[in-house]
Amino acid sequence: MEGLVALARSLVTFLHFWPIVLTLGSTLVGIMIGCMPGLSATLGIALLTTLTIKMPPNDAILILISAYIGAIYGGSRTAILLNIPGTAANAAACLDGYALARQGQAGRAMGIATTGSVTGSLFGVVCLALFTPLLGEVALAFGAFEFFWLAVFGVMMSGQVTGEDALKGWIMGFVGLFVALVGQDGIHAHNRFTFDINDLAGGFSLIPMLVGAFGFAEVLTAMKDKMAPPALRAFDSVLPRFGDVLRYWKTVLRSGVIGVYVGILPGVGEDMAAWASYAAARRASKESEQFGKGSVEGLMAAETGDNASIPGAIIPALALAIPGSAPAAVLLAAMIIHGVRPGPLLMVEQPQFVYDVVAMCTLATLGMLFFGLFLIRPMLLVLRIPRTIIMPIIFVLCVVGSYAIAQRLFDVWTMIGFGVAGFFLRQLGYHMAPLVLGMVLGDILDKSLRRGLVLSDGSLEPFFTRPICLVLWLVIAASILWQIPPIKEAAGRAAGALARLTGVRDREARPRG
Amino acid sequence: MQSLDNQPSPRVEFFSGLGWITLGSAIVYGSWTMDRLENLNINPYTAPGLVPGVLGAVIALCGSIMAVRAARVGTSGSDRTAVTRAPIFNWRVALSIALCLGFALGLVGRGAPFWAAAAIFLFLHVFLFSEFGERRGQRRLWRGILVALAVSAGASFAITMIFQEFFLVRLP
Repeated sequence: MEGLVALARSLVTFLHFWPIVLTLGSTLVGIMIGCMPGLSATLGIALLTTLTIKMPPNDAILILISAYIGAIYGGSRTAILLNIPGTAANAAACLDGYALARQGQAGRAMGIATTGSVTGSLFGVVCLALFTPLLGEVALAFGAFEFFWLAVFGVMMSGQVTGEDALKGWIMGFVGLFVALVGQDGIHAHNRFTFDINDLAGGFSLIPMLVGAFGFAEVLTAMKDKMAPPALRAFDSVLPRFGDVLRYWKTVLRSGVIGVYVGILPGVGEDMAAWASYAAARRASKESEQFGKGSVEGLMAAETGDNASIPGAIIPALALAIPGSAPAAVLLAAMIIHGVRPGPLLMVEQPQFVYDVVAMCTLATLGMLFFGLFLIRPMLLVLRIPRTIIMPIIFVLCVVGSYAIAQRLFDVWTMIGFGVAGFFLRQLGYHMAPLVLGMVLGDILDKSLRRGLVLSDGSLEPFFTRPICLVLWLVIAASILWQIPPIKEAAGRAAGALARLTGVRDREARPRG
Repeated sequence: MQSLDNQPSPRVEFFSGLGWITLGSAIVYGSWTMDRLENLNINPYTAPGLVPGVLGAVIALCGSIMAVRAARVGTSGSDRTAVTRAPIFNWRVALSIALCLGFALGLVGRGAPFWAAAAIFLFLHVFLFSEFGERRGQRRLWRGILVALAVSAGASFAITMIFQEFFLVRLP
């Protein structure tokens, strides 16, 4: 009851002219960022963080959340129309969205994507309101041992599910953890790896690193190859058909649950939520043979899953200060810059803020619905701007954004360094998302490990025997073992044998007709 | 969205692995030789080099696995070296890096007004890439100059106004 009152108070606070204008404007910006292949939600939020640095905290965070939701949604437009996912989260939407577009049903596909995104987002918002306080309460019992494993878990999961090579993902995660430790350490204020450079004493700032790794690296990646503006095909009405929605309500619900669950897992992200929802829908569907050939159900599942995972990813960011995805990591950093202290004490110190975030997500979802239904055609004009024009402008924004946080040229150099390194690493098949998670979680890992060792007087036993720690390290160990080819093959053979065995039993049990 | 179609060869992977081993070992060395603050009587488990040292060791371990894996793939003959790969680095990237570095390190913060620095950078980048990058004909040269001028003037003015006047952000 107390929570409902707080939620109502938050909704009333945001139902005014200025917050609505901010929501609509930033959702539109987010959708356009998402529409443009190459510009990720993470980059959009990082750049907007610098733009909103002087704004009141609630306005700034409202803008960032709206852009986040808009960007993940916006990426589905190009996935459907061009078979190019605007963001990584929309890759699953390409399969059936583009197939529908080729059958002359691009408008219908966009309507389905809009419906799925809005439903998934609203489902996620409900979970955000319900689970953040609960998780916060549970997290009050977490100690240094649990936070250490949560940080390792986030990096390992992110490394595992991002890209094709888990080893590369893990390397990026550990490098991110290390980069976060450069500068004065959080316990004794001793300079680590600063090489007597004064600017390094404060460490690398997170936002310039992110702007470099996601922005400048993307500018270089886009400039590497010549690419003409895409030709957009005409499309039918984007207004969703209620029959499509009602027919697949089970898929929507299942995808929402999967999306929120994947979102809550530290570091896993929206793209995995979309793929997991898509795979689950395919397994459960009566028309699974249609998947990949223009299945409405498949598209609905993918888009519901990725949007449901946005509020899902915000849940651990608020309750544990451990983000569920790379964009949520930037959002977490922005909250800290604006004086919010996410973590187990948030529900004790600033409980209203959690409900403010719920209200922000709700408004942004409604903004997404508005633009998705009524302003799709003008928004797609942004795709006609050649990359040779848009990319240098993005770079100028990267420079301004890096400088704006602390007015230090050192931050611009940081952005350049991480951008060039990020470009070459991408070319070698390394993903940036685990690096971001590592950068955000490095401080937690560092302090938790050392505090834990002090508490246990150097014994590693509590790290492995406390109940939550036990679960976390077992999952981590299993995920590592799973990457070892002989073990993976043996597990595959065992699963196959089990499936055959159960199949034989099923056939024997079935009455002969 | 990152494209990973262009997976590197086992040879590149092998040298990447060696690179990670070198980085990890350097971190371990730096952590080992880092001041342990014994003169301050701190708890030895809170030594500043402890966590970086562990991370350095893990990075070196991962690098070793990568190098061994690449070496095994390379010798087994099941590698992907036969597949034609686009080069990692080409003149477009080199030109873009040169222009971006020239702007960010050479112009910004060196006394020139930000709007002027941004306009010069944008003009050069848009003009060079749209004219030479896209291999257009001679007839469109003047059009290219006009487009680059319009984009550079408009964008540098808009960015300066939005950041400096509307969002009150100080520009370099």
